[in-house]
This record gives sequence, structure tokens and C-alpha cells, in this order.
Amino acid sequence: MEANLKKENFLKIFRKNKDKYLFVYGMLLLPVIQFCIFYIGINFNSIVMAFKEFAGYAEGGGEIFRWSLENFRRFFGEWAHPETSAVMSALRNTFKYFTAGVCMVPATFLVAYFLFKRIPGYKFFRVLFFLPSIVSAMLFVTTYKNLISYGGPIDMLLALVGYRIPPLLTDNATATGTIIAFTIWTGFGVNMILYQSAMSRIPGEVLEAGQLDGVPWYRELFSIIIPMVWPTLSTTLILLITSLFNSSGPILLFQGSGVEVDNPAITTTAFWIYRQTFKGADLNYPAAIGMFYTLVSIPIVFLVRYLFNKIDPDVEY
Amino acid sequence: MKKSKKTRGGLHLFQVVVFILLAFYAFTLIYAMGWAVLSSLKTQMEFSTNLVGLPKEWKFDNYLQAFRSVQAGGHNMFEMFFNSIWYSCGGALLGVIASAMVAYVVAKYEFPGRGLVYAVALVTMMIPVVGSFPSQYRMYSQLGILDSPLLLVTKFSGFGFNFVMLHSFFKTLSWTYAEAGFIDGASHLKVFLKVMLPQALPVMGSLFLVATVQLWNEYMEPNLFLQSHPTLSSGLYIFQLEMTRGTNYPLLFAGLIVSVIPVIILFAKFQNTMMESMSMGGLKG
Repeated sequence: MEANLKKENFLKIFRKNKDKYLFVYGMLLLPVIQFCIFYIGINFNSIVMAFKEFAGYAEGGGEIFRWSLENFRRFFGEWAHPETSAVMSALRNTFKYFTAGVCMVPATFLVAYFLFKRIPGYKFFRVLFFLPSIVSAMLFVTTYKNLISYGGPIDMLLALVGYRIPPLLTDNATATGTIIAFTIWTGFGVNMILYQSAMSRIPGEVLEAGQLDGVPWYRELFSIIIPMVWPTLSTTLILLITSLFNSSGPILLFQGSGVEVDNPAITTTAFWIYRQTFKGADLNYPAAIGMFYTLVSIPIVFLVRYLFNKIDPDVEY
Repeated sequence: MKKSKKTRGGLHLFQVVVFILLAFYAFTLIYAMGWAVLSSLKTQMEFSTNLVGLPKEWKFDNYLQAFRSVQAGGHNMFEMFFNSIWYSCGGALLGVIASAMVAYVVAKYEFPGRGLVYAVALVTMMIPVVGSFPSQYRMYSQLGILDSPLLLVTKFSGFGFNFVMLHSFFKTLSWTYAEAGFIDGASHLKVFLKVMLPQALPVMGSLFLVATVQLWNEYMEPNLFLQSHPTLSSGLYIFQLEMTRGTNYPLLFAGLIVSVIPVIILFAKFQNTMMESMSMGGLKG
């Protein structure tokens, strides 16, 4: 009886708002279908793939997969020999990229602060430092590779003091560091503009009051500016921390001239999964690894957001 | 007062140090870009013997030669240029249109499921999915969109950063405009298309611009999912790989510079819009 009443009420409201609902759901239809296929479907398929392993070929030629925990057994088996495992090497490199990203935050913030303080040439610097964010990475990578090559401009400069540049990209000990150096070199742009925009929204009278009180620049930075732009700063930190396992660089573009991107010494987790997909040998194993790290990321996301919300200074302006 | 002078002096000294550091960093960027341009104007022989100096013979025709000789998997630069245009502009346009459709109804209409749509849009942005490439590859292959312009349907995403930006725009846009339209007898669709959407065009334009530049520079997805349709970014990478020995670097640099010219033109014209919008894009969490 009650259910009938509810149904009747719903139909009544629907009839009354028929045009509105047709419009609303019509507008949502295609994007929701797209979302179901290309977000839910893909991620669900990742989970299914993670729990399946290749079992041979069917008579018709298709591949047969069977339910299995083999991918996870293999993955956890890699943890037993971290020195020789490509997956573990990728994880170590991922942490290196992540650490570099974290270190970039204060460096970028300082650059933004001094541009905000209108250091001579600040307008020019602002535009120039932003350029690597919009110019094709391929151009910068190719240039960088040549600049640091043997016989290149940096090598010629070093030769003046009797030193020659070592093969940075082909030496396992220095390759990842060299690519990370590239990401730092070209990585100031976006966050710098973001921090500067946040700083420019601080009311002028707050900074003027500090200046009248003779507040030194570092106190202005730490006691006024950082608390006032904390929401922006914390958001960039949250994004960085929560995308820990996706930390990487333009490794693919470094391929060639003796650099082998499938070398475990230079790969990262995200890039290793990409390369396994590209090679197409076994898609299920990288899918399992991707799923594992995504699952690990989820509690980190919520924990980090919770912690940052806790320490968020309550500043209104 | 004395303290204040000292403070200012301190800042000035520190400013000088910072200025020197920033100027040095700026020099490295300018040098790298200038070096790339000069390298594009050398002969292949001169590139290997004179890596640092000015070209002895300025080979401007390297740029014409690049269009003739630079190939990736049998595709020349004209084809790559065309692929870059449909991939970046088409993808960006579809993304902005889908987001505008979802953002408008979620911001302006009360309907069952509205909260769910909004929550899904935000939560999916928060969860960093690690390495979904294997699943994407298999699904695209099963759907028959792999290595085809149909791959653009994957860009018709109504959620994400574009949704957040357009939702906050529509949220603040007065409903009075729509009401005036309804009084004149316009339908919901007509009000959306003729009254509300035109007002969102500046926001949509900047989102389109940013997405276009990002897709123009994207190389990983085209390299994996569009192997028969190389864009300039993925194609020039392939060109470099295909010339395993004796890469013609001047031609490669000429091609790379041609590939960044459209972006530089857009940047010169819409500098502030792009800088602001891209920095907001970095906050898509």
C-alpha cells in the first residue's frame, strides 16, 4: 500500500516535471554511459584481469584466461629479491621521483614568493619559467640529452677545467638521477603560477602592516604568507602525496642513443606498467600491480586529506 | 626604524642572490631553446662537428626538408600535423562539451541522483588510479576503438577538472536569464543552448585551450593507442627511434620546433588565460 503510494507520488512528480527530467537525464545520458564504460568498466576490468592468468590458446585462436592468484603470488615473490627485481627497482625509482617532487614544492614556493615580491625581471621570469610546461617535452628532452652528452656544450665547458662529462644516461648509477634533474629543471612552471596567484589574493594591507612593523622577509614568508596561502600549498602537497605511485618522468622520451628505457635501473612503477602494456606480452600481471598500488593509495588519500584538514590554519580573508 | 632598514637591506642582499640564481636558471632555459633553434639550422655534418657554435651555413630549408623527410611509420609531418589537430582539438572539444552538459544540469537543476553525480565526480578525481593502461588497452581493443580516431570517445568525459570549473561557473550564473527564456516559451534545451551556454563560452574557451595544448603535447597515449595515426609528439619520438644510427638531428629539431610553433602562438595570444587555467588544472584534486 505504502509502496503504491510512493510510486504514485513519484509518477505525479515525474509527470509534473516531465520536460525537466527528460532534459536533465538526456543531458546526462551520454556522459554517464561514457563514464560507465571508460572509468568504471576499465577499472573493473583491471580488477578482473588482476585475478586471471593466461592459460593457453583456444582452438579458434583466441586466448584463454583462468581465475588465479598467480599474479599476486608472483608480485609478492618479487619482494623476496628486491635487488634483482624490475618491479622493486621501479618502486625504488618511483620513490626517488616522489622525493624530488616533494623537494620541488618549497623550491617552487620560494621562487613564486620572490616573483611575487617583484624581483627585477619578475614578469619575464614568470613567462619563461612557465614555458617548459606548455612546450613539447620531446623538444626539451632531445635538447637536454644533447647538452649533457659527451662533446656537448656542458662537456666542453667542463673540458676547460680538465674534466669530461661521464655517460650520465647510460650509467645505471646516474641515469635516474639525470632524468630527475631534467624534471626539476623543467618543473617550476605550473605550481609557481598557482602559488603566485594565491599570494596575489592576500590583502595588501596585511602585508603593509607587517612591513610597517619591520617584519623581516623570512617572517613575512613563514608567519603571514604561508598561513594565508596554506589551502593552495596543502592542496598541491596532497595531490603530490596521493599520486605517490604515479610519480614518474618523461622516461620514454629518453629512449635511443644507448638509453634503453626497459632497463630496470631507470624505470618507475607507472612507466613499467606502461611499457609492459606497450610490449603486450602479459597484460594481467601489470594490471595486478596497478590494482595493488591503487588499493594502497586509497587509504593514503583519505588519511592525507584528513591530516591536512586537521592542520589547516583557519584563515579567512 | 634602524631594524627596518636592516631588514630591507637583508632582503635586498637576499634578493640579489635570488636574482642571480633565477637569472642563471633563466639563462639555461634560453640557452637550451636557442641551442635547439640553432641546431635546426645546421647541416647534419656540422651538427656533429660544431655542436656549440653558430651555423656556418644557415640551413633554413631544413624546415622544408623536415616536412619532406621526417617520417614515422611511413607517415610524413603533414599527416602527423593533421593527426595532432584532430586528436588535440577534437579531444579537448569533446571533453569541454561533455563537462558543460553535466556541470550545467548538476549546478542548476534539482533531480533524483544529483548528489550522486556530484559525489562521483569528486571522488573519482580524488582516487589516483595507478597504471590502468593494460585494462584500457584490452578494452579499447575489444571495443574496436584502438588505433582509430574513434578513440576520441574516451575524451568525452563529463567529469574531472573541466566539470569542477564549469560547475562552479554555472553555480554562480544567475538563473534569472533562464527564467526570462522560459517566460518566452523556450524549452530547457533551448535555454541551455541559446541563453546559458553562450555565457559560459569564455570559461569553456580557456578550458578548451588548456586541454588542446595538453593533448597536443601528449605522447604516451598516442604512442600506445594510436600507432597508425602518429601525432607530432609521438611521431617525432618514433622518427628519432627509427633512425637508430646517425639521427639527422637538425631535421629532428626542425620538426620539433615546427611542432611547438602552434602552442607558442596560442601562448603568445592567450598567455594569462593559459597560465591561470593550467595552474588551476594542476589542482584537479
